[in-house]
Amino acid sequence: MFLKMQDIAFRYRHSDKCVLSGFNLSVAKGEVVALVGLSGCGKSTVLRLIAGLEAPECGSISINGRIMANELVFVPPEKRNVGMVFQDYALFPHLTVAENIAFGLTRWDRPQRAERVVRLLRLIHMEEYCDRYPYQLSGGQQQRVAVARALAPGPDLFLLDEPFSNIDAALKESMRQEIRSILQAEEVTCLLVTHDQSDVADMAGRVIRI
Amino acid sequence: MTRLYRVFREIHSWNVLAIAIVTLTSVPAIAIMRDALVPATANWSHIKEYLLTDYIINTAVLFGFSGFFASMLGLSLAYLITVFDFPLRNFFRWALILPLSIPAYIGAYTYSGMVDYTGAVTKLLSWAAGRLILLDIMSVPGAIFIFTFFLFPYVYVISRGFLAKFSAPFIESARMLGKSPRQIFLTVVLPLSRGVAASGCALVLMEVANDYGVVSFFGIPTFSVAIFKVWFGMGDIHSAVRLSLYLMGFVLAAVLLEKALRGQKRFSITTAKPRELTRQRLQKYAGWLAAGYCLLVFGFGFVFPVIQLLVWALLTYTEAVTGDFIQAAANTLVAAAICAAVIVVCAAIITNSARISRSAPARLASKLTVLGYSIPGAVIALGVLIFFAALSKLTEAVWNYSLLTSVFMLYFAYIVRFLAVGCSTIENGFDKVGKTFFEASRTLGRSITATFFQVDLKMILPSMLGAFALVFVDMTKELPLTLILRPFNYNTLASKVYEYAHDERIQYSAPAALIIIAVCIVSVYYLSKAEKE
Repeated sequence: MFLKMQDIAFRYRHSDKCVLSGFNLSVAKGEVVALVGLSGCGKSTVLRLIAGLEAPECGSISINGRIMANELVFVPPEKRNVGMVFQDYALFPHLTVAENIAFGLTRWDRPQRAERVVRLLRLIHMEEYCDRYPYQLSGGQQQRVAVARALAPGPDLFLLDEPFSNIDAALKESMRQEIRSILQAEEVTCLLVTHDQSDVADMAGRVIRI
Repeated sequence: MTRLYRVFREIHSWNVLAIAIVTLTSVPAIAIMRDALVPATANWSHIKEYLLTDYIINTAVLFGFSGFFASMLGLSLAYLITVFDFPLRNFFRWALILPLSIPAYIGAYTYSGMVDYTGAVTKLLSWAAGRLILLDIMSVPGAIFIFTFFLFPYVYVISRGFLAKFSAPFIESARMLGKSPRQIFLTVVLPLSRGVAASGCALVLMEVANDYGVVSFFGIPTFSVAIFKVWFGMGDIHSAVRLSLYLMGFVLAAVLLEKALRGQKRFSITTAKPRELTRQRLQKYAGWLAAGYCLLVFGFGFVFPVIQLLVWALLTYTEAVTGDFIQAAANTLVAAAICAAVIVVCAAIITNSARISRSAPARLASKLTVLGYSIPGAVIALGVLIFFAALSKLTEAVWNYSLLTSVFMLYFAYIVRFLAVGCSTIENGFDKVGKTFFEASRTLGRSITATFFQVDLKMILPSMLGAFALVFVDMTKELPLTLILRPFNYNTLASKVYEYAHDERIQYSAPAALIIIAVCIVSVYYLSKAEKE
């Protein structure tokens, strides 16, 4: 299995209630899996645990055969090679579109980096926007940049947290198709959290209910 | 086992730095507590028998009345400004913050000059009454007057912000139910804003506890005066420490009172949606009455003293602005700039460490720094003195250099006292930015430190500049620390003002006082801007 979560328990600080307990999940390479469930059931927490933004209380997480978290090991998020698209996109307001996409490419050399940015800009059809700042973009455009930024470093695993919650209903459908084709083009394993049934039908190969 | 391991895993170099800074700045407080265990000296039994009761009564009276009047003044003005429309309302809305730009001790010196035998007020009153009328401002009521009129904006700003945001539905329903404006104030506004008024009042009381300039000039024996006397007069640091514990007791009481007033019944105010209140137009007569009230407060709290200072400055600047004066101004600038810069850096480390960390020690560290601001200057000065006396023994032995006569002791004390100001400002900045940018950067392969410099720093830069400005201002007007800890012949503008006033040459203090006021207006600007958001 590409991603494996075993026996995960988690609670937020100052809270007695376990958000997750005895949680298991496995995802095969290249799969697109949707996590669905009521709000507050811990869907986003699963993504945050995989990304390394939270540490599990017990249990283990491994990605591509590498242990990311268990009783003894905790790999910080920057060393996990996991891409994540946040619900509010979190595009850096002080950087342009191109700079945002290049942000995760520090270890690449200059010509390679430029090439990669151009490739991703083309993928999201936003070549002419490369020098704009995030506030100059529409919601849909911001989302595409966020997807491109998360894909740029070539992550092993791609996480989407409620990717379409801030987008007009009219735009949703085309966005979904676009992202699905981007995912196919990049051949990444993907986990998405949503509460929208049509997201699931359109994008996911498998559905897991929490 | 796993728990201990978890703690270690969470500790990061940021946490280590933050904890180191907080430990260093809390040494003075620890030094005081340790010193309190030393057996009482002979002086102490004398103080206890003849003086202590006076100190307690005077401090309690100043606390009680200044707190009460400042709260009433601040709250009533906030009510007038948020709920009604009257002539000059927009002007008064921000003008009523200005009294905060005059440090209480400068207000005290100026008013005492105005009401003395040849003062402007005495002349005016005597001319009007046809006989000599002398007002005795150098008394407990006089000090209460000074604290009330120069500190009420704390209550005013906080409660105005609160009322503007949350009071609309309550006031409107009270109006529909046929209550008069006076009834609304007493039965709705007063109980509703009790909590916020209490936090404003707590700030007022901390300033009163910190004050040395006003009470020493007016000759009122309070704890801060007593600490100075016992230390400088008798050289008895152990008794000074005991006195400072009493003063801390008062501060603690003020803080607990605030907690109590805020804590019980919080109502479900926050569930009400923030909404702008449609202001009620006051009829002609009532409108001018309201404007008159605001004008009176603004006059006493800002216009009269500033005019008086301007007149004095014109008379004396040729004699007052000398090499000494310029040296004092330069000292102030250098000290304020260096300490503000150090504080901003330390505060950024502490707040960032608390933000990224899930571990308890790092979070506790950031909470501890807030204490620094609630400890009165005279008390911090004592703690720093004890700490540096021990440190100096070492430096004298090794490098033949005495820290006790250096300016570094004063700088360290400034940093201990004002670190909290920097921390709370930068923490606000971090809160506004949120954590997702940080998280996004981490998932894109940046470490905590790289993220700080490439992402966080850019976003909290405005708050860091704000923190720098606020600390700079606080440092410019600081008096008690400077007086106790300054090296021989070292003056700042504030200590220069103090010296002139105590040499009975108040007029000569005007140029320095006006510079301090001008600098303080910067912090008033930030206050009104922060409040707008």
